[in-house]
Amino acid sequence: MSKLRVEDLERISQRVRKMTLLREGAGRAKITVHMGTCGIAAGARGIMNALMEEIESRGIEDVLLTSSGCAGLCSQEPMITVEVKDQAPVKYVGLTREKVQRILAQHVQGGQVVGEYALARGSERPS
Amino acid sequence: MVTIKVNGRELQADENQTILEAARAAGIRIPTLCYHKELTPYGACRVCLVEIVAGGRPGLQAACLYKCAPGLEVSTDTQRVERARRVVLELLLARSPESEKVRALAAEYGVTGTRFNLAPENCILCGLCVRACAEISRRNAIGFSGRGPRRTVGTPFRRLAATCIGCGACVYVCPTNTIEIEERD
Amino acid sequence: MTEPLNQQYRLNLMLCAGTACVSMKSFAIKARLEEELRRHGLDGEVLVVLTGCNGFCAVGPVMTVMPDGIFYHTLTPHVIPKLVEEHFLKGRPVEKLMFTPPAEKAAVPRLADIGFFANQTLVALRNRGMIDPEKIDEYIGRDGYRALAKALTEMTPESIVETIKASGLRGRGGGGFPTGLKWELCRKAAGDVKYLVCNADEGDPGAYMDRSIVEADPHSVLEGMLIGARAIGAAHGFVYIRAEYPLARKRLQIAIDQAREYGLLGEGILGSDLDFDVSIKQGAGAFVCGEETSLIASIEGRPPEPRQRPPFPAQSGIRGKPTNINNVETWATVAPIIERGAGWFAAMGTAKSKGTKVFSLVGKIQNTGLIEVLMGTPLRKIIFDIGGGIPDGKAFKAVQTGGPSGGCLPASLLDLPVDYESLTEAGSIMGSGGMIVMDEDTCMVDVAKYFVEFTNDESCGKCSACRDGSGALLEILRRICAGEGRLEDLDTLAELCEVIKDASMCGLGQTLPNPVLTTLRYFRDEYEAHIRDRKCPGKVCKPLIRYFIDPEICRGCTVCARDCPSKAITGERKKAHVIDQARCVKCGVCLEACGVFGISAVKIE
Repeated sequence: MSKLRVEDLERISQRVRKMTLLREGAGRAKITVHMGTCGIAAGARGIMNALMEEIESRGIEDVLLTSSGCAGLCSQEPMITVEVKDQAPVKYVGLTREKVQRILAQHVQGGQVVGEYALARGSERPS
Repeated sequence: MVTIKVNGRELQADENQTILEAARAAGIRIPTLCYHKELTPYGACRVCLVEIVAGGRPGLQAACLYKCAPGLEVSTDTQRVERARRVVLELLLARSPESEKVRALAAEYGVTGTRFNLAPENCILCGLCVRACAEISRRNAIGFSGRGPRRTVGTPFRRLAATCIGCGACVYVCPTNTIEIEERD
Repeated sequence: MTEPLNQQYRLNLMLCAGTACVSMKSFAIKARLEEELRRHGLDGEVLVVLTGCNGFCAVGPVMTVMPDGIFYHTLTPHVIPKLVEEHFLKGRPVEKLMFTPPAEKAAVPRLADIGFFANQTLVALRNRGMIDPEKIDEYIGRDGYRALAKALTEMTPESIVETIKASGLRGRGGGGFPTGLKWELCRKAAGDVKYLVCNADEGDPGAYMDRSIVEADPHSVLEGMLIGARAIGAAHGFVYIRAEYPLARKRLQIAIDQAREYGLLGEGILGSDLDFDVSIKQGAGAFVCGEETSLIASIEGRPPEPRQRPPFPAQSGIRGKPTNINNVETWATVAPIIERGAGWFAAMGTAKSKGTKVFSLVGKIQNTGLIEVLMGTPLRKIIFDIGGGIPDGKAFKAVQTGGPSGGCLPASLLDLPVDYESLTEAGSIMGSGGMIVMDEDTCMVDVAKYFVEFTNDESCGKCSACRDGSGALLEILRRICAGEGRLEDLDTLAELCEVIKDASMCGLGQTLPNPVLTTLRYFRDEYEAHIRDRKCPGKVCKPLIRYFIDPEICRGCTVCARDCPSKAITGERKKAHVIDQARCVKCGVCLEACGVFGISAVKIE
């Protein structure tokens, strides 16, 4: 390892930026994969893998990926919830790898909700 | 040379001189137990405490260690000084009730008995012997060991010190006659 | 050393590996976590990170799941399989392992919502639980070494000193001397060779602020020292750390090695003309090393005994060279001040005590742990809102601040703001940040005796006032606790305390009377009860208490009689038992045994 110069500090920070954001819980967007028993049976595991691979290959750094239990709509699994900062969460249902790719490109990166896969906007919890 | 004030009196002193040296040179008496003019001052007995009134670190300081500085003002006989000396002598008396030197000095401050109960021990840990051995005889045959209540003076590992030449310098400086010289064939 | 950090992980499990949690098997928990993650094929997406002390030591081992911030506590290896399956595979956080405040019923899932954490402000502890202390990249990722870069490229040594001065930062090791002024004195001292010292000796019993900072974030200390080196013009620094802190020493050594590899220690740091390196000096754990001149003696290889000041270490320290000593917390606070500016720091705290302070909150307190709060936070907020109050429904009696030479403050001072001036005025000290909470079952005379026992033992023995003065204090206190006190002892204690403060050579002696003086001031009735009534109100001092069995309550279960080590209890089955006072050694085993069965027939008077 060669001696660092001032500009190298920024380079190292960039290298570990995703980790830093993850630990601060401070991503620009958060994607939750619903992984109850129903979700897993319907293929949520594959959706999680697909998301991880896509996020990696697209070089997306500021998106947090997490899992939660059953969202209550077992018939429409696999499901994810996409929360872009300062916007209402969107639930997508009946997902496949291809649908996930489009959601990532169009919604998470592009800011446009993919209406045809979306179940509902907003949270069922009172705000 | 710098000018300092001791008990309101202006004195000329060398900047390397301690308060004790400057005061004694001017005939002002400050009591001591662990001081000897031929040895590095140590500040252990706390009998020479004086009060720094201005121009230095405020509070009570050991006159044997504190160096003169321009504008330094010192009192050797305030109530605070007297109280500290009295209690310190009372402590030393509890520690070394048989020591003539401690008793005489204590009596001078009106201390003839003590309220304190310490395991009596002749040595007051003034360290004169240790310094005499190191600085005059240059043998370093004795030193301190242990800390706090277990502090003692002795030879390394309490065995006969290989470097001791039996010069008796330690015996000579000891104010409490704790060290004895034993003649053998 | 810096293996590429895998970017694919979606979860980071921040598992505490501070000394307290390690002693409760963090390492075994980590192994189990990794094993279970592998079994579920999750090892590529969930990373286990060992962090330094999280602070909530009372409920360790603890783990925070990021990015969600779910906080789990009191983990054991055998709960791990279920936790991995439920939370990390199925996404259902396990409520049973979450923290439920004692007074409430519902668990609080997120760390940020737990009262213990929510009321804290982290500056010195800014990276705790967020990074792996053994990976320099993670420190840099959280803006580490940016303050150093700023100090090297945008600031002069003078402007660094001015910034620290303007921030109002004061020494966190005990004395509270203004740090910027100290730096300036050393900077202006004549001489080319100057030294820096980080004091990580931390001799106070029950206090572990410095250990935790070094364990959790060693680079924060190194960065502070580097900035200090630039400001003062020093080329070498020592970290004086006690041998009893093996984990801290190991992590510090790793940090030093990594910083050297990156050229952040050595010559031409970050391409500048700054040369600075650090070496570790192990101490043997002497409380008197809190005194700077003793610490210097120890670094030089001599016994730790203080010497007369002046000359101050800034003028003549290690090997007679100008030396600047700050403690761990002070050094760890430097970088954020340089990075965010003096105004940011000075806006926190009170008029004369700026910023934040780390405390280790221990004793009779629900949430034992390490905390950092704004200067000026009232004791009540620290003890009750953060500390969760006193366990077992007992009443608060006193809190001692500042370690063994601090004062004991009573309930009437609970609203006292914790800052240097207020504590001093109340007869206590800030010290390095120990905070020991005591409940109604504490005897304040016994507490004073305990601390004087400690300081008497830790006195170096050089000067008579401290050595023999503490010995004489101890003898009187022991007599009072044994029921042999005399009323005139109280005046003797007070006078002796004043003289020890006045006449001692160093800070150890000058502060050791504080526990006695404050207990005399705030709990004089307890001294009088011991002397006049021969009673110990806290029911602690054995010669003054008596155990007996209430025959109305005793059911004759025989448990106490079987447990009694001195066979002092007799009685038939199902009939009231009796304690033979002549044989009773007052160990309290019977009281405990009786309490276990909820009978409580054994009483103390």
